[in-house]
Amino acid sequence: MAVKFFGQFLVEQGLVSRDALISAIDLQDQKNLKLGEMAVSMGYITQVDIERAHNAQMSKDMKLGDLLVEMGFLTLTQLDDVITRQKNTHLYIGEALVQVGALTGESLQQHLADFKADQAQYISDGIELPVNIANSKIWEMTADLTYKMITRVLDLQFRPGKCVTVEMLPPSFMMAAMDFSGDVEARYLISVSEGLQKSVAKAILHEESVEAESVEVLEDTVMEFVNVVCGNVAAKASQMGVIMNIDPPVTIHPPTGGLPVPAGHTALCFPIHIGDGDRMELILLIKN
Amino acid sequence: MKRVLVVDDSLSVARQLEKIISESGDFVCVGHAKNGAEAIKMNHTENPEIICMDMNMPGMDGLTALRTLSVMDKEVKVVMVTSLGGVGDKFTEALKLGAKNVISKPFEVDNVLRILREL
Repeated sequence: MAVKFFGQFLVEQGLVSRDALISAIDLQDQKNLKLGEMAVSMGYITQVDIERAHNAQMSKDMKLGDLLVEMGFLTLTQLDDVITRQKNTHLYIGEALVQVGALTGESLQQHLADFKADQAQYISDGIELPVNIANSKIWEMTADLTYKMITRVLDLQFRPGKCVTVEMLPPSFMMAAMDFSGDVEARYLISVSEGLQKSVAKAILHEESVEAESVEVLEDTVMEFVNVVCGNVAAKASQMGVIMNIDPPVTIHPPTGGLPVPAGHTALCFPIHIGDGDRMELILLIKN
Repeated sequence: MKRVLVVDDSLSVARQLEKIISESGDFVCVGHAKNGAEAIKMNHTENPEIICMDMNMPGMDGLTALRTLSVMDKEVKVVMVTSLGGVGDKFTEALKLGAKNVISKPFEVDNVLRILREL
């Protein structure tokens, strides 16, 4: 029911043991050479060149390959050769599990088909952003996964509104927020009306009525929804090669006039229209 | 019945897990810790056989607590229950630190019970 990678799917389903998966991952670590290691093995550069580039990386925010080109250790053609060799010789986790004897070639194909079917629900449908923004694919995926989780986790029917940039975060009953750090920096916020907070609580707690629940529990359920979405966004981002770390969620009670967008940030607002006048907003405060 | 400790900063997740555990017939919930440091203390006082623990918590996080527990108590079996399960590096780190399995959020009741029963 969540975004997973293949090895996790196999262990969670009891199809391979955790020890077998660790052996396969260790085998991958041995066989899948990093870019610098591959360039050395192909005779293009030396270990000393890599060390120089690593030292330079401390003061320059560049990928190793680009830096090796900039420092004149590799030509662009050689860098392409190295990347192509890495791709062509990459040992995937499924193949590694076959090599350590945890799966047969036949069972691998069957499990791969089952895994693809399990994860098909998380393939992006495509979202349009109103502005040119860095890492737009990540933010489109974030909005798309939020919509999917509203359906799957909250079991709510909704209509997504058009995404707009805003200067003020609109007032709302409450917001739950989570910060992303790593390759991208942003704050993920979900705002809910009072009625919708109860709908979220019913779904998260699997209860028919939440009238007797404390404010603390009701707010916690919205934070937990944000936690689930953001964890799955981080998982999907890692599949896209982007590192996204998350902090524990927090609640915010915006003033009646709304909250101004902090300087140096772009705020994308995705209105989410739910029946009976209830409203939810997804807001991404993206550091420029 | 096997004794299970739930570790999660979220009240709602802890409630869900406690309900699943107590209604299973095979397990009894011996308590709820809100972060890794509390988990280490309650592992000592409540002596659980299984710990269901979140990764992303304020104060001491789940992976740090797992690292400590794997040194202090070789008997207790830890299962991580986390929204970060699908992040490959986190998943691998948890297994290498000694977690018996990693359950992704949102979780399904049957899946949680099957994994706990297989321990």
